[in-house]
Amino acid sequence: MEYVNPEGIREDGRRPLEMRHLHAEIGTVARADGSAVFEMGNTKVIAAVYGPREVQNRSQQLNDQALVRCEYSMPNFSTGDRMRKPKGDRRSTEISLVIRQTMEACILTHLMPRSQIDIFVQVLSADGGTRSACINAATLALADAGIPMRDLVTSCSAGYLNSTPLLDLSYFEDSAGGPDVTVGILPKLDKVTLLQMDARLPIDIFENVVQLATEGCKAVANYIHEVLLENTKQLEYRRGL
Amino acid sequence: MGPMNDSSDLSSEMEVDAFRRLFPLRFHERHLLESIRPDGRPLGRARDTTLAFGAVASADGSALAKIGCTTMLAAIKMEVMTPTVESPNEGCIAVEFHMPPICSPTVRPGRPAEVAPVVSKQLSDTILRQVVMTFSGMIDLKDLSLVNGKAAWMAYLDIYCLDADGALFDTALLSAVAAFCHLKFPMVSLNDDGRVVVVSGESKGGKSGKEAVNKEQRKLNLISIPFSLTCTLHNNYILADPTAEEESIMETLVTVVLDSSLQLVSFYKPGGPVLAFTSAVMVSSDLQKAII
Repeated sequence: MEYVNPEGIREDGRRPLEMRHLHAEIGTVARADGSAVFEMGNTKVIAAVYGPREVQNRSQQLNDQALVRCEYSMPNFSTGDRMRKPKGDRRSTEISLVIRQTMEACILTHLMPRSQIDIFVQVLSADGGTRSACINAATLALADAGIPMRDLVTSCSAGYLNSTPLLDLSYFEDSAGGPDVTVGILPKLDKVTLLQMDARLPIDIFENVVQLATEGCKAVANYIHEVLLENTKQLEYRRGL
Repeated sequence: MGPMNDSSDLSSEMEVDAFRRLFPLRFHERHLLESIRPDGRPLGRARDTTLAFGAVASADGSALAKIGCTTMLAAIKMEVMTPTVESPNEGCIAVEFHMPPICSPTVRPGRPAEVAPVVSKQLSDTILRQVVMTFSGMIDLKDLSLVNGKAAWMAYLDIYCLDADGALFDTALLSAVAAFCHLKFPMVSLNDDGRVVVVSGESKGGKSGKEAVNKEQRKLNLISIPFSLTCTLHNNYILADPTAEEESIMETLVTVVLDSSLQLVSFYKPGGPVLAFTSAVMVSSDLQKAII
């Protein structure tokens, strides 16, 4: 199977180092404290943040920091075939845990003891890179909710097929069986908070692919900055400042 | 969503917000005395409604409906199944209504919302209504049949609530109807074993001998399209299209469903204080007609 044709064009017409089109919107769920929709190509994810609010399960209350909960779910229709169990299956639980731990690293939880922050992520359309899109959407939703964070968390995926490192894999490329590296960074602090890879990869190529994914994350961070700046301008305008 | 304030004083604005939280009933009653509601609507006006077809590209039919802030995403996926022995020339529709925790601060993960099964049951009753005599429900199940006795369509309708701000049933019904309007049957072909299978759109390295039986993707024929309106009743006021805040403090809820020939399909009033029956039906029907 050829994923990169001899001219260097991928299956969906992109170059190997090209990301998919990004689009983000803030404040889509009116009832939530913060919400965002994030699109990477055909992958569309909606995230809503509720909090800080009172802990619903008293036994889990932490006295010195906030409790962060995250739930990831995919509706039945988001992938090609209709899924039977959208929520309780292992993949969803794993991704929920990954997102929770990633966001927990950057939220200043010690500022909000005895409270709870809920992050709910719903995939509306899945075309590869859902994990990254979820983290980006969660970052935007947390920023919209005004929850104090150390830095934004942005994430991007990269792979290696046909001896070429590829940025931002689509579902077709992801299902090829090659390695799939997902990286999540704090762009200003330049620290890595999430790094996941499956399949085998030699060490030197691994470094290249991680570097590529980190560049992708920085590009996403720039875009998120623009979106947040635009949103703040709108808020200022509406308040009459 | 700014609450009405009499003076532009900052301290009085804070009081209005606190008043709204602490005494919601009195807050709303003050507005009702002036025949207006907190978001500026007159009592009988519904919120702005928007509809978008084809929101989900991977589904056979989909729609996104918004009434005010309440958002519902409906998607239909078709699968081939063998029909039951009692009705060999009829297909099947499975309606599922989900309320994921993102839609409302009161929904907790792991515990489905209280209203979700209620709305789900109302929806399946309205869509799948089988009346013996003259007219039947929205969809004739015989339309969903492929080969008599051997193969028929199973339509899975999933409705996801993305934002719950009152009038859940109205928005859900609107999105379901729109998804059915947008539905196109996928192409099928006869397998080597004589079974009917769905052919996907792309044909990469296609196997020989598989030709689609119904090349032109036909659409589903809807007999009559139902529309619904939910109203709350409080003292003697009838409020059309309540928001979540209004729904939580008013005791009674009435849902009226009419179809496109202005006949009454269903009337739903789950408990609450009794009121003048005829006036409620009249007002609801008038409001319905205005919306259609």
